[in-house]
Amino acid sequence: MGVLTEEIKQRGLEVLSSHGNSKLLTHLNSCVHCGLCSNSCVYYKVDADEHYVPAKKVDIVASIYRRYNTFLGKTLPKLTNARDLDETSIDELVDLLFGSCTMCGRCTLHCSIGVDIGYVVRKGREMLSAMGYVPKTLQATVDAAIETGNNMSISTEEFVDTLKWLEDDLQYELDDENANIPLNEKSKNVMYTLNPREPKFFPLSISAMAKVFYAAKESWTLSTEMYDVTNYAFFSGNMDEANIIAQRMDTEMKNLDATKCVLAECGHGSRAYKWEGPNYLGRKLPYEVTTSVELLAQYIRDGRIKLDPERLSEVVTLHDPCNLARSGGVIEEQRYILSHVTKNFVEMTPHGVDNFCCGGGGGQLAMSEYNERRMKIAKVKADQIKSTGASIVATPCHNCVDQLTQIDQHYKLGVKIMTLAELVADALVLDEEKK
Amino acid sequence: MFWYHWMMIVSLAISMLACLAHIIKLIRLGKPIDYSQKAGDISSAIKYSFTKAMSPAKKESAYLHLPTYTAGIIYHLGTFLSIFLFFMIILDLHELLNTVLDIVIIGFLALSTISGIGILIKRLSKKTLKALSNPDDYISNILVNLYQLATAYVLFDSSAIVIYTMITSALLLYLPLGKLKHAFYFFAARYHLGYFYGWRNVWPISNHKN
Repeated sequence: MGVLTEEIKQRGLEVLSSHGNSKLLTHLNSCVHCGLCSNSCVYYKVDADEHYVPAKKVDIVASIYRRYNTFLGKTLPKLTNARDLDETSIDELVDLLFGSCTMCGRCTLHCSIGVDIGYVVRKGREMLSAMGYVPKTLQATVDAAIETGNNMSISTEEFVDTLKWLEDDLQYELDDENANIPLNEKSKNVMYTLNPREPKFFPLSISAMAKVFYAAKESWTLSTEMYDVTNYAFFSGNMDEANIIAQRMDTEMKNLDATKCVLAECGHGSRAYKWEGPNYLGRKLPYEVTTSVELLAQYIRDGRIKLDPERLSEVVTLHDPCNLARSGGVIEEQRYILSHVTKNFVEMTPHGVDNFCCGGGGGQLAMSEYNERRMKIAKVKADQIKSTGASIVATPCHNCVDQLTQIDQHYKLGVKIMTLAELVADALVLDEEKK
Repeated sequence: MFWYHWMMIVSLAISMLACLAHIIKLIRLGKPIDYSQKAGDISSAIKYSFTKAMSPAKKESAYLHLPTYTAGIIYHLGTFLSIFLFFMIILDLHELLNTVLDIVIIGFLALSTISGIGILIKRLSKKTLKALSNPDDYISNILVNLYQLATAYVLFDSSAIVIYTMITSALLLYLPLGKLKHAFYFFAARYHLGYFYGWRNVWPISNHKN
């Protein structure tokens, strides 16, 4: 990572000392070290090590803030454990903020004071990013998105080829040559986005959504220029890079003159564009931004698609992606959708805003150096799934799909992981002539 | 007025000015500008943040730790009561309290001090808490414990006024410096949390079945 020069250090400290508003100042000064947040964290639940207490993650960021910004921190640093920003504290910061936190925000919800712990971790990551201390693996994912337009470095040719064979299959399945996967078409109602994991590993989830669009008679398109819903710079803490990625999406919406930007089933992706995107760009977006979960629920409500809940006999449970539910307010829609695709739905305990993270959030899936830890904390989710007795785990997030698939293998759960679009597509009742 | 009265008044003035500086800074910085499309009701969410979201039914930090939560509530009630009595003492109104009320208050302050000591013992004995703690945590706890105890003592024996004013002055001067300043940052934190979750329609939780 190079030598920590005074100039680099100042760049990091600037993140903590510059206050555009009172939010950071508030949360850096509020923690009382009661430690009651410990049981809310999946890391602490599986390994009751003091380093995994969420307050410890707040404290290491706050301790550096105190050292350079408060009277006691400057004069009597030992009194408040105000720490110097040096190689030792940076190593600890990287391990705690990148390697021991999925930024799921569950601790925030349960904090006795109301400290936004996830926010402080994000600012800590921003500080590390400003100094160039983002784990290489995570930075590589961001670099791929910046350089190639998607985080999996899929070439346009490969992407178009994949979509073409998916379209052929869709036309064959539906026996209709008008069943399309439109590309770069202008002035459509919907510009749909994808998680690059879809064209790379789960192409059938693209055809599932295409089938739903077909059934709903939606006017939609995909873009070959910008389809990547993810924004890993949200996790790395590099706001300039987060801005570049968000700007691309905004530009493509304008180029294609679409009415609505529909974000694919991706927890952090939907958060990064719907909620954080306008703030990266510093302006309101002149079009509607919605998640595919909300869109699917709307199709059902409006009677644009018909579903048969009797078709699926297996027991289904739901994993709420943290960024979609707890930090995004999409909580009832996924349940409404599932109530139309199955009569055998069972909730996890806890669920909704209180759900446990699967362990794949916060960029953990991109940081292979923490794989062992990631699979260890996944035990909490594995136990949750096991106790539902379900054989299908639905989740509206491709990152979660990836992690849950690995959990299934690691903990030998014998469950099938599916997105909502896949479940909806399977339950679709098409018009008689299109069956 | 004696020297110790002046000491307490000067400490109060310094403390209030320093606390005011913190509060003015927070107000001047204001809330974040959010350019995303608001989805919920912020006022209801902020109200929820200060009420139901704090209840033992909603917070793991409360329902998984009921003894600590209860001790914490009693401890804080004891502090609020001591602050109220502080103003009665400096305004020379404490003579208005009758003997029965004095006994009830002293009893409650004894209970709240025991709660505070219990919290201190937990901090000293639990490995995870000890690792999280710094001298400020201990000083803050001990100062508040002594303050509550001194309040009880001065109600019992008015000749303890010198020791009471010394402890109170120390507490007042330390308040804006260490973790005791959560006394006002707490409100800002709950406000920001309510604002954030309200904007995104996560809170109030009654908006959702789950």
